[in-house]
Amino acid sequence: MAINNLAIENGLFTVTMLLYFAAMILYFIFFAMQRERPASIAAILQTVGFALHTAALIIRGIGAGRLPMTNQYEFATSFAWGLCLVCLIFVHRYQFRVLGTFATPVIFLIIGYAAMQSKDVRELMPALRSGWLGFHVSTAIIAYGAFGVSFAVSMIFLLRERMKDNDFLKKHVPQKEKLDMISYRAVSLGLLFLSFTIVTGAIWAERAWGTYWSWDPKETWSLVTWIIYAVYLHLRLRRGWKDRSAAIFAVIGFICVIFTYIGVNTFLPGVHSYK
Amino acid sequence: MGDIVTTVKKTWKIISSMGFAIGLLVILAVSCALGSFLPQGETYAAYAEAYSERTAGWIVALGLDDVYHSPWFLAMAAFLCLNLLACNLVRIPQILRRFRAAGEMPRTAAAAEAAADQLTAACRDSHQAEEWMHSLGFRKIRTGTTEDGRECRYGVRGRAGLWGAWVCHLGVLLLILGFGLGQTMKQEYTVYGLPGDSLQVGDTSYVVTIEDFTVDLREDDTVEQYTADITVRDVSTGESHRDTTSVNSPARMFGLTFYQNSTGWAAGIRVDKNGELLQDENVCAGDYLTVADLPDLVIMLTAFYPDLRMTDQGPVSASSALNNPGYLYMVYYQGQVLGMNVLTEGEQVTIDDYTVTFHDPQNYTLLQIRRDPFTPLALLGGLVTILGLLLAFYFPLTQVWAVEDGSGEELNGWTVRGRCPKGGILFRERFKEVTQGDGN
Ligand code: HEM
Repeated sequence: MAINNLAIENGLFTVTMLLYFAAMILYFIFFAMQRERPASIAAILQTVGFALHTAALIIRGIGAGRLPMTNQYEFATSFAWGLCLVCLIFVHRYQFRVLGTFATPVIFLIIGYAAMQSKDVRELMPALRSGWLGFHVSTAIIAYGAFGVSFAVSMIFLLRERMKDNDFLKKHVPQKEKLDMISYRAVSLGLLFLSFTIVTGAIWAERAWGTYWSWDPKETWSLVTWIIYAVYLHLRLRRGWKDRSAAIFAVIGFICVIFTYIGVNTFLPGVHSYK
Repeated sequence: MGDIVTTVKKTWKIISSMGFAIGLLVILAVSCALGSFLPQGETYAAYAEAYSERTAGWIVALGLDDVYHSPWFLAMAAFLCLNLLACNLVRIPQILRRFRAAGEMPRTAAAAEAAADQLTAACRDSHQAEEWMHSLGFRKIRTGTTEDGRECRYGVRGRAGLWGAWVCHLGVLLLILGFGLGQTMKQEYTVYGLPGDSLQVGDTSYVVTIEDFTVDLREDDTVEQYTADITVRDVSTGESHRDTTSVNSPARMFGLTFYQNSTGWAAGIRVDKNGELLQDENVCAGDYLTVADLPDLVIMLTAFYPDLRMTDQGPVSASSALNNPGYLYMVYYQGQVLGMNVLTEGEQVTIDDYTVTFHDPQNYTLLQIRRDPFTPLALLGGLVTILGLLLAFYFPLTQVWAVEDGSGEELNGWTVRGRCPKGGILFRERFKEVTQGDGN
């Protein structure tokens, strides 16, 4: 990769991180001090950050001549990008800015994790050079982004009953029934994409390693995640939206997502650890 | 007798219940997680060393050393299949009824009420009713009259969505079935060799001939691709096919899949006795040659270095390019090590009457050969599951019905009713938005 490409990507990445950080602080002020203006600025900063983030990923992709989603750094920054994308869509679609207050810290943590990884561009080993890899990882990014949003919404759901109602909350935090529906929409999107991720991953594994499922820890954990969200759906159907258990499962689900992504590579061995 | 019937009914009810499904899924998730934390397939001794003898005893007794193939795990998977099957069977009549009902335009107020919850709004005329229906996303609107002669309109979409969960469950069932059958029926073989070798595939009637094998390197010495050119012959029929296999692009012939799995170095070992050629054979690194007329004498090619450098830590390869071949050998006589050393190209070692030289290093290929006739079933299961999810989440049944108020001279307006159970509050809000005027 050309040096100046890498330098540009680095610069964009740093600015993106700063913008996300500023958005996070402003969203926090908006919620804690119950003032409108910081949220408007935060939304703009987050959107600009997202645009620069996109540019950084494109530049890296051009420089490397492939999708920038194959090592721990690339996947982390793409994960943060996916979460930011789904967050922006949901904030816009449901006019729900408090989501920003709860989602930006997660985005910032993930991009912060990315910043700690090595940014080297390395050539891929033959097994990773597959068209299926592109589908596999890009669907994972959307799935994880959607699960991140459902996590944030479910946290708000769980906190909602502890909040004393006032005009600000009435205006900005939807009622629990609506929170449940929004979380459900996010989980639906996530589960659909996670299913794509698992199926494309299996097709790729069959071609690269000869078995489509080998109980590798990363595979196993994506299955665990998938099952947790299936349980979420059934709990919701069975108990109705008033019940907290579905929301709790959405939170557990996202913890599994994070573990699948970071924990498995760190604590458990397998073909998916990119080292 | 009655008792048995009651028990069977009760059991069936439990098996087809959602509570049972939730319980099973949670236990399955926990078991999968457990299997990923505990190293799998180790021996009792290894567990005893890592944990304690007592824990190791439990691990082995409970099958935790091989969670995913343990009887209790398989039993749970079987129960899940039964559960899915039961639940899907039980629900067919109900879904069919709802599917058909939604297809028909309600012709009485009671039917409309049954179809349309409590979401109602008053509007001016049929024109406005249709406009609202368009805004709610209905393109096709049916026109008709009720039994008592009033004009009405009906829009419905997402009827297929009623089948979403059902299709998804079917997909999961097929997936588990395909995977399970594949696990029990699949066949696996490995062969390895050099270009020119013909190798028998296990106990089958197939013979693989390696026509060529190449390793493409990039400029920075990392591997770009491994490619084997192979011919497979069925000796029972004489039929043969030729194809190439490389990483990520296996060859499929005779229902078998040939994977380019890995590679290593091999070299020729030439043995001369008193200056006369005795034998010359290719040996893979790690393998050995038994001297033809003195079986007690064994020459092992312990390791091969394509680009030999001698360092303080011993021999290493500076790169994977074939620049300066080095052969690490060991000589055994009657099982005892007689000597070891590193030779380079052209050097030789003499043992009494025998001289040994190494030559013509080349890459051998290791091919993995598999047959799993149920892979397509598992793939179908996966795709059907995805289709089910799509239907369940993105095609929710939505109905809107509009009817003229009153009859005869009392005509004064229209009433619109809407319903989308899965849309919950989001659909109710949208309905209100549209019918209260700011929905366009
Ligand atoms: C891995 C296993 C399973 C998966 C992935 C799965 C998936 C789903 C999905 C995606 C839905 C639709 C949810 C929604 O629209 O919000 C659903 C609904 C449902 N599931 Fe399952 N399910 C599984 C196992 C089971 C089992 C074993 C039962 C047995 C009782 C069951 C009973 C139901 C029922 C009754 C519904 C509601 C159907 C409807 O709304 O039409 N599920 N399931």
